[in-house]
Amino acid sequence: MSDEKHFTRRRFLQFTGLGLTAGAAGAPVVATAQLKDAVGGTPPAIAKLLREALLPQPKGARVVVVGGGWSGLTIAKYLKRYNPAFDVLLIDKQPAFVSFPLSNSWLADQIHLDFLSHSFFDAADNHKYHFLQATVLGVDRTSRKVYTDVGYIAYEYMVLAPGIDYDYGRIGVDDPEQQELLFQHYPGGFVSTSELLTIKHKIQSFKGGTFLLNVPSGDYRCTAAPYERACMVAALFKKRRVRAKILLLDMNTGIKIKKDGFHRAFDELYKDYIEYLPSSEISGVDLDGKAITTEFDEYPFDDAIIYPPIRASRLIEEAGIVNPRSPQMAANTDPFRYHVVGDEHVYVTGDSRGQPFSKGGHTAHSEGKYVAEVIAAHALGKEVAWRSPQTMCFSSVEIDPLQAMSIITYYKFNKQTNVFDFDRTHMIEDWDIQGGQASLAWAEGMFRDMFYR
Amino acid sequence: MMPRYFKSLCGLLLAVAGSTSFATEPVKVVLEFEPDPANGRYLFEICARCHLPEAWGDNEGNYPQLAGQHTNVLMQQLLDIRSGRRDNPTMWPFVQERTIGGYQNLVDVVSYVATLPMNPHHSQGPWPQGTEEYKEGMQLYQTNCSSCHGAGGEGDNASYYPRLQGQHFSYMKRQAIRVRDGLREVDPAMAAVIKALSDEETDKVLNYISYLPVPAKDLAPSADWRNPDFE
Repeated sequence: MSDEKHFTRRRFLQFTGLGLTAGAAGAPVVATAQLKDAVGGTPPAIAKLLREALLPQPKGARVVVVGGGWSGLTIAKYLKRYNPAFDVLLIDKQPAFVSFPLSNSWLADQIHLDFLSHSFFDAADNHKYHFLQATVLGVDRTSRKVYTDVGYIAYEYMVLAPGIDYDYGRIGVDDPEQQELLFQHYPGGFVSTSELLTIKHKIQSFKGGTFLLNVPSGDYRCTAAPYERACMVAALFKKRRVRAKILLLDMNTGIKIKKDGFHRAFDELYKDYIEYLPSSEISGVDLDGKAITTEFDEYPFDDAIIYPPIRASRLIEEAGIVNPRSPQMAANTDPFRYHVVGDEHVYVTGDSRGQPFSKGGHTAHSEGKYVAEVIAAHALGKEVAWRSPQTMCFSSVEIDPLQAMSIITYYKFNKQTNVFDFDRTHMIEDWDIQGGQASLAWAEGMFRDMFYR
Repeated sequence: MMPRYFKSLCGLLLAVAGSTSFATEPVKVVLEFEPDPANGRYLFEICARCHLPEAWGDNEGNYPQLAGQHTNVLMQQLLDIRSGRRDNPTMWPFVQERTIGGYQNLVDVVSYVATLPMNPHHSQGPWPQGTEEYKEGMQLYQTNCSSCHGAGGEGDNASYYPRLQGQHFSYMKRQAIRVRDGLREVDPAMAAVIKALSDEETDKVLNYISYLPVPAKDLAPSADWRNPDFE
């Protein structure tokens, strides 16, 4: 309770304001305006937030990992492997894990949802760490505490792997009400499980007409996914003989990855279904009129999946660790060691990272193994040599049976230009059944690593 | 679509122990297959998506150099990963029968990999020839390793001893740590040697191994060589 005393009003406001972003069921959401009434005495709901969370006493230096995606799950497991003395706690606001990688194959009925769904309990149990379902509200790096909706948790090290948030402002939708409608009616399918379920239902029940998809601009999550998704939706419509046109509006000047392969798939497999329109800078969405506007045109649709440009999770901004030079509000971290500049006890990984590595599951997984080693070494006063993350990316284009292309790449730091370049890239743009099989084996192996072995 | 030639199914050796009708010891089955390199090349496409078409491994130690390795050694690893004896969760699904197929396919793919020319620039340890650490590593090697792995690290196919020449320093180091920490199960004699060495000694002996010369005939002409089967 002593924390309540030295918790100044200023800091109190700072951290409780964060409750606005949480939005998870059960999280006390505190509007800043209401707080003014709370200055005289702390309401019980707020007092609860200021208590220490009821958790088992840590049996070693506590490492809190925020975010149970591909990055956080991998780091939690390997932290424990590289330093069994760590007491590792993984926090996620969702009750269970559903994979975004391979979800396009699920949309086209090539795998069951079971294949993508896994329990945080299994992961924690098999890898000897703790799991807490909670929403992180804020961070106090000075006292090394992370505040959640079930109280605060003290840490020795903290890893922030909170992923991404959508940035609807970049497609001209600034009004919060419009943003909410857009998010719930036409979700992008890259942040929460409900989005995926909504998209599946949309596709499965589509009766015909124009189905609109888009490719966002900037450094979005999973470069190939929007193109792959267009193929998977087209494959399903083709199989069911749905009279539909898939309009794929690309905010970029051309296909960003596996270009020849995707062009060939659009032409050879889905000529009657997919219309691909590059350089389509989306400037607004008319929700009532069901149309997307670009600089020169308006595109009416019957249904849509709208994937806005993205930014690093708002938690990074609220923790006060955004790199001011980052257009997508990514974290200000050491590009090789991943810690927040000036704080070797807080690390940022996964799609909130500061480095421009391809955002996706495999990158986060290979990076996570390395970062776990970095932290384990730091606790011993040692260092490990930097090694590149690896990006492995399968793209399915045909179904029954699944057929896929693939690419693998590494990164190297270019000392002349001060940026990371691609290194040792190997791409297979001829899709085949082997590729489809490999994509399933790849995902299965990743789930096995993160949850079961 | 997937050619499979079962040219010979040679021996079936049953060793049933015990005098009564109950088998009390493991039953050993020996099978022989004639490799089909064309099918091996076809199957290797799946492997190459991660191991890359040259099978050269990487300097970070994530992947070993597979090119030039003995077929029996490669086969043993595939079977150990398949059974879970060697814990490799991310590779596990790839070597299950439902993915890669039966023994014939495993034979074909390891035979193909064994024919690939090796990486001429594999990663080496920090102490080149002439350094004190190199010399200490050499002595440790001769005392502890050469009787099985050979004076030049050439290994032995018939005895399942891996070829060490040309293997990445980073990869060997990672595996040694896994064996030391009980995370990778290997031949008990091998595990005993690793556990008997200090961390510094392990570094030195692996450093020495990483400088063992690979016969020129086994090497690719340059580090820029790309596997023409995958052009």
